[in-house]
Order: sequence, then structure tokens, then C-alpha cells
Amino acid sequence: MSDKTASDKTANSKPAPGDTAPDPDAPVTGMDYFMQLEYHELLCPVVRRYAEKLRAGKLIGHRCPKCGLVYAPPRGYCPIDVVETTDADEVELANRGVVTNFTIVTPVQYYGQTKTEPFAKVSIQLDEPGGTLTLQDVLDCPVDDVRVGMRVEAVWAPPEERDTSQIGNRSWGSAEGCIKGWRPTGEPDLPADQFLQAAF
Amino acid sequence: MGDALPTTTHIIEFPYTRTLGPVYSTFLTGLRDGRILGIRNRDGSILCPPTEWDPWTGDALDTSPAAFTEVGPGGTVETWAWVERPTRKHPFDHPFAFALIKLDGASTSLLHVVDAGAIDRMSTGMRVTARWKDDRIGHITDLAFVPEAS
Repeated sequence: MSDKTASDKTANSKPAPGDTAPDPDAPVTGMDYFMQLEYHELLCPVVRRYAEKLRAGKLIGHRCPKCGLVYAPPRGYCPIDVVETTDADEVELANRGVVTNFTIVTPVQYYGQTKTEPFAKVSIQLDEPGGTLTLQDVLDCPVDDVRVGMRVEAVWAPPEERDTSQIGNRSWGSAEGCIKGWRPTGEPDLPADQFLQAAF
Repeated sequence: MGDALPTTTHIIEFPYTRTLGPVYSTFLTGLRDGRILGIRNRDGSILCPPTEWDPWTGDALDTSPAAFTEVGPGGTVETWAWVERPTRKHPFDHPFAFALIKLDGASTSLLHVVDAGAIDRMSTGMRVTARWKDDRIGHITDLAFVPEAS
């Protein structure tokens, strides 16, 4: 998400996608109206550290000291055991994993939609020590080839291009300003069956 | 982008297109064509901005094209508020005034902006006149008011 918005173009000075050019002599019968909510969020320390590590090219998570589940990104707590997690529970995560779920999105050209072709958003269960990232992009792979069990690896943006300005306190799984996406490793698939029940 | 931390900004935006109805359609079509239109009220007064109803009785007005009449482009500031630090949603990126402007020929006043440059150029009762944009689209921001040359 960028700081620039549609309404920065000052109301209806530019037609929305799909609009035809207005007839300069026709009566004006409609008015574009942008309702806008702008949030400024102070980042919690756990997210701040996650973002700093991302810019340094490292993915981190927290391992719950009670159940052992790994949260990626770290949340500062385990919602299952209701215990706090801290830097002491930090683990560095793998750059490789396996697709456990996916959605193919066919973009509708609503106002502000920048994508035109179908694309995949996938969940990736990372190799040891674990953790699952959601809503990740797949690179170098036609959407029809995306499948559960596919082995993938992270493609990092060059250090000078890494941007964590859009990471907020609720953007779980967000690494998109630093990891461009995940590409198939070419290794044999893992059996899809074992991921059908995977949530975390 | 380390400077962006430790805060982040999220903007949620909903683009609507509002249907204008007979009166605002005529009014904004007029603005696009460089004319400010008022509507004739049942008591003979001229309302600008125009409305679909008599503001005192609620009776429906004649909204046919013949009911409209041109007002302005000059007018008198009835009251005003100076905006020292505009936000990005304001019409200017420099200080300006919001003002109630009673346009010449109108009986009511229009809430609009005066691009006066400095607060000491503003006063209640001052004369202003419309300054039109070249590229008009039929929107209230097609014009702004400026102090009338004395």
C-alpha cells in the first residue's frame, strides 16, 4: 500500500478505470466522492524488531515456550496458551518451505486494482524450525502450476530496495517489501495429504 | 526506509460516485461552464447554493432550467475562518480561508474558500470574486475566490 491515494488526484480529475472520457457538453450528473480513513500506527517492539531483521535479510519468529509452535512473524504472545513470548523465544526461520494452501485470485478491475492477470497467494510452511507465512506471492511459476506440496525458496529484494514501511501491527505474514516472493526449488513435491489439515 | 519506523501509515479509501439530482446537476454543470447558478425560491429570493426545497417551509421548488439564474461572480464575505496549516485534503497547500460568501444577486451565502495569501487580507464584509480553473470538470473545486482588486 502506498501513501498516495486515488483522491490525491483531487476528486474526479481523472476518470476511474472503465470510465469513458466524459462528454465536455453533457450535463454533470455524478460526483466522485472519496471517503478516506488514514491511520497512523505506532509499531509495537516485536513488530519493529521483525522489520529490522527483515531489512537485514533475516526472517524471524517466536517459539511458544509452552506448546513449541513457531509464529511467523512473531506476535509477542501465543494465542493458544495465552503466554507472552519475548526476544528469548526468537528463532531465525528457514528461507525454504512448502506450499500448504493457495488461492488463485482473478482480479476484478475495481478502482485502485493494479493487477490484471490471475495471481496466486500461498501459505508456506517453512522448514525447521518451522512457522507458516500466509498470503505470499509465487514467482517464476504459472498460476496453474501452483499446488500443495510444492517446494519453494525465498527471493529477497536487494538490501537497498527493502522496504518495511507498510508493515503494521496486524499484518501477519507480511514480508512483501523485503521478500519479492517464493520460487519453486525444483525438488520433488512433498505429499499433499500431510498438509491438508495444516493451519499453522 | 528505516526512517518510516516506528510508525506506519495505512489509508483505507472508498471511491463513491454520488448521483447529483436535478439541482446539484444543474449547479455543477454551471460551474463546469464557468457560471455560478442560484435557484429562485418561492418567496422570490435567490438561493445559492441552490436547493430542491424552500429552506424555510420545506416546499418543493421548481427545479426546471428556467428556475435558475446566474449570480456572482463577485460577492461579500459574511464570516470566515483562517486555515493556517492545510491538510492534504484541503484545496490548497498554503494557508487560506474558508468563508461564507453572499454572491451578488443571491439571498443566501455559499461556503467556499478564499485564496487571500495572508490572514491580514481577510475581513468580514470584504469583496471577493471568483477565480476559475482552466480545466473544469463540474466540481465545487472548479473555482476559488480571491480578494477583489481594489
